[in-house]
Amino acid sequence: MLTSIERVLFILMALALGGLAGAGFYGIYRIVRSGRSAPPRQNVLSNLIRAAIDVLLQKPMFRSRPVLSTFHAFIFFGFSFYFLVNVTDVLEGFIPGFELVYGGQNSSISLPAGLVNLFNLTADILSVLTLLGMIVFLVRRFLAHDRRLKFNDGVLLNPKVAKGWIGYDSLIVGVFILLHVGSRFLGQALRLAEYGQSDPFMPFASLTANLFTGLSEGGFTAAIHTTWWLALGLILLFLPYFVRSKHIHLMIAPINIGLGKQTPRGELDPATPPAAHTNGDEPADDEDPGARVLQDLSWPRMLDAYACIMCNRCNDVCPAHSQGLVLSPAAVEVNKRYLINEDFTALAFKGDRIDKPLTDVISPEAVWACTTCYACVRVCPVGNEPMADIVDIRRRMIIEGDELDSGIQTALESLAKNGNWFGKGSRGRSRWTKGLEFKVKDVTKEEAEYLWFVGDTASFDARVTPITQTVARVLKRAGVDFGILGRLERNSGNDVRRVGEEGLFEQLAEDNAAALGKGQFQKIVTTDPHSLNALRNEYGPFVESQWPVLHYTNLLLDLFQSGKLNVTHPLSHYRVTYHDPCYLGRYNGEFSAPRQLLELMGVELTEMPRNCENSYCCGAGGGQIWLGSTPAGERPAENRIREALATLAPPSNGDGNVIEPDDGQLLFVVTCPKDVIMYTDAVKTTGNEGKIEVRDMIQLVEEAIGGAMPEPEPETQSGGEA
Amino acid sequence: MNIVVAIKHVPSTADELEINDEGVNLDFDEVDFTINEFDEQAIEQAVLVKEASGGEVTVIGVDVIEELDGVLHTALAKGADKAAKIVGDLEPPIDSHTQARWLADAIGGLTPDLVLTGVQAVDDLDGQIGPMLAAYLDLPYVGVVTGLSVSDGTATVHKEYAGGVMAEFEVNLPAVVGVQAAEKPPRYAPISKIRQMAKSADLEEYEADENVGDSGCEIRKMAKPVSAGHAEMLEGDAEEVAEKIIEILEERGLL
Ligand SMILES: Cc1cc2nc3c(=O)[nH]c(=O)nc-3n(C[C@H](O)[C@H](O)[C@H](O)COP(=O)(O)OP(=O)(O)OC[C@H]3O[C@@H](n4cnc5c(N)ncnc54)[C@H](O)[C@@H]3O)c2cc1C
Ligand code: SF4
Ligand code: SF4
Repeated sequence: MLTSIERVLFILMALALGGLAGAGFYGIYRIVRSGRSAPPRQNVLSNLIRAAIDVLLQKPMFRSRPVLSTFHAFIFFGFSFYFLVNVTDVLEGFIPGFELVYGGQNSSISLPAGLVNLFNLTADILSVLTLLGMIVFLVRRFLAHDRRLKFNDGVLLNPKVAKGWIGYDSLIVGVFILLHVGSRFLGQALRLAEYGQSDPFMPFASLTANLFTGLSEGGFTAAIHTTWWLALGLILLFLPYFVRSKHIHLMIAPINIGLGKQTPRGELDPATPPAAHTNGDEPADDEDPGARVLQDLSWPRMLDAYACIMCNRCNDVCPAHSQGLVLSPAAVEVNKRYLINEDFTALAFKGDRIDKPLTDVISPEAVWACTTCYACVRVCPVGNEPMADIVDIRRRMIIEGDELDSGIQTALESLAKNGNWFGKGSRGRSRWTKGLEFKVKDVTKEEAEYLWFVGDTASFDARVTPITQTVARVLKRAGVDFGILGRLERNSGNDVRRVGEEGLFEQLAEDNAAALGKGQFQKIVTTDPHSLNALRNEYGPFVESQWPVLHYTNLLLDLFQSGKLNVTHPLSHYRVTYHDPCYLGRYNGEFSAPRQLLELMGVELTEMPRNCENSYCCGAGGGQIWLGSTPAGERPAENRIREALATLAPPSNGDGNVIEPDDGQLLFVVTCPKDVIMYTDAVKTTGNEGKIEVRDMIQLVEEAIGGAMPEPEPETQSGGEA
Repeated sequence: MNIVVAIKHVPSTADELEINDEGVNLDFDEVDFTINEFDEQAIEQAVLVKEASGGEVTVIGVDVIEELDGVLHTALAKGADKAAKIVGDLEPPIDSHTQARWLADAIGGLTPDLVLTGVQAVDDLDGQIGPMLAAYLDLPYVGVVTGLSVSDGTATVHKEYAGGVMAEFEVNLPAVVGVQAAEKPPRYAPISKIRQMAKSADLEEYEADENVGDSGCEIRKMAKPVSAGHAEMLEGDAEEVAEKIIEILEERGLL
């Protein structure tokens, strides 16, 4: 089909532009490799294959935005199939007489008609779907101005991003896809029109062919050549741009997912690169913990920047961004990418480090707004971990003495001095047991089956200690053999580590490990998801043996199922919704025990739209509960209470939540001590007192079993800590 | 610039304090010790001066319960260059006169240009170690200072008087200054740095001279404040207590 000149031109273009793109890809490889080391990846091949399958099924996409994901799937399938289509098109261009229309019956090379028809049909339908998908995306961005593609005011953006370059990039990519796929589609239609006959296996092309009837022979030749060049020459032209564009996600995303984090979600990567630990535990001197400049980040974080398609799905689920704060997980990735592009050649090929400061990626204010809820990581369709960048930046800020929020500093100082963030002495840790009718064992002195790791909030906060006492009474009543570490317990360090204070985390973990080592017990149970996460996922290097770590909801379920607790007062008068704590649900996959408990107790559970994996953070994690100041905007917990009310008592005609008197009491059920505080407060600040009540699961259990304990006898009141 | 900061290890008030059986002091076996909070201000001010005008910061304290190392390591992690402790066969309590004597002996040998202390310590609320140090070393003293800068052998210090009146003093160096607040809140010392100091730092030691004499004062009695006896404690949870309060107020015709 092509003339000799066209062929030579195409080959020359392919060599030159392909070579340029190849150099670009090699540059990307070098840049990613210039990041610091990360924990080694196992079974790389099988993981890449699994990632490829997931991507083929578009699974990561459907975690959110189902409608847009469907249109994305159109483009994805179309574009993937076009790899094959492009090959056959090149063959059509280069082999005289080779063509596929009408099952290939007119082709100079004999082809299996059935296969060719199937190919034609697929290409025909996918071309239309791709064009449709692309138009939807362009309309959404440029005409409908989807708000989700915007960033909050005050979010730090690379100057180019601020000037709208993501939009230009999208426009270039969009127009490229429209031209590429559109031209190919029109090219096929022109062929059908030239023959003057429709092809049942190319229904859309046949329809379109009607537009071209009556074109002259020269007209057909010129048009077919033009569309061929627009389809295929354009690809070549686009290749070098691809390296700079966000469209490269189509290649990097599957790799990024395949090479993704393999340790548990609840285990942060080490603060210093694993390779720096050459002899024993001491990191080599030149490897400071955390990150200050771009190449302090580990290579997976560099790869993230290339995988990011700038969809802002992570912003949608980020509690800080939703509150209107200056933190945007998407901006972290976007800015990294633009920062790399600014100095691509130097970063890739000069070898010497260019210190691109991470303050150009995210502002300190944003760094301290993250609750480490993991929602951004979970939702990201390309496997990015913006939260990991944030924690690494915090780590370096802490070690280098950057100014800290006063509340966080006070909490850390108290944690270092007293082992808790309440500024209380360690002797006070088991003071809550004084109100009990019985003595709680000290497992460092007496053996018990369960060690109850109580945690700071449940031990010290006066709003929570009555709940802690109820847990003790219920366990006692069920005959559970449990004890505590008493004054030897320290804060687990979960949030300390996420604030970036790695040294303090280690100190707390070592102290706890020493106390645990003295204890005699088989399993650990806790009401606190944060402690659970650290004990389960991050204490490996500190303890000699790893105990099973249970949440109290698991233990309670067990007690009901084994008949040690019985529902004597079913709770059918409540209508409840349940909030999954980040560190229990999303981090540790514990979704079912609390729901099974609620079912057992006979309450009517209605799920909020954001539940389980997609639960919405209360705003307390990652050290946020320690902040000295309260940022403006609707706090995440307030937003959540409104969601709960809208779920349990949907508003009608804009009249606000409608609560029928015979609906029963509405409850917001929580299973985390911090949630008790956050949501009780949020019910008040949103003015919803009397409408909905926050209850800890144990309070429902207490009621369902007809009271945790008989009234205390006056003479047995002397109990207390050991 | 040779800056010396005198610090004091004092009982921590994070826990409830217990009185010893004799009823004359705290039960020191039952209290944790911590750095006096004003001394943290003095350390911060010293490091700020060093950062602004150069020099070297030495932190020194009396190691009354042999647990001062952690405090000194923390000071080093915050930017002090050297740390020293006065050791001996010591037992709490040691009054401020004795401590001032020991500190003066040690600090005198360090030929300081500037000595900083906290304005007072929370244990005895004496507020006199600074003035006494100045007296023993024969140096000028300014106390209750909230800011300090140094140039050409003089220090410019700020004081805040009652009623919001501000004063600025010029003091010839060397001098002793009692710090109430540093110009910036004390910085955070990352634990890994403190641990690094614990591994690598050498702490200089001075023997306490047991023959310096004491204040001549003796505590005769120490007790927790006794309530006047008329208070009625309302028991119960917040709701119940609130109800009782309303009842009482209504009873007395106040509502
Ligand atoms: C920040 C701070 C807070 C303190 N808070 C307390 C506190 O709450 N309670 C407490 O008991 N101690 C407190 N002290 C301790 C107090 O400083 C000591 O009692 C100290 O000895 C006072 O000595 P001075 O030299 O500062 O005297 P000044 O403050 O100058 O005077 C103290 C007293 O000495 C007498 N006096 C001074 N000059 C003369 C004079 N010319 N003629 C006659 N009489 C004179 C007066 O009775 C005068 O009230 C505090 C110290 C500091 C630094
Ligand atoms: S990080 Fe992931 S979710 Fe966020 S914008 Fe990039 S691709 Fe989208
Ligand atoms: S971890 Fe949560 S708070 Fe932090 S950036 Fe991600 S979504 Fe936002």
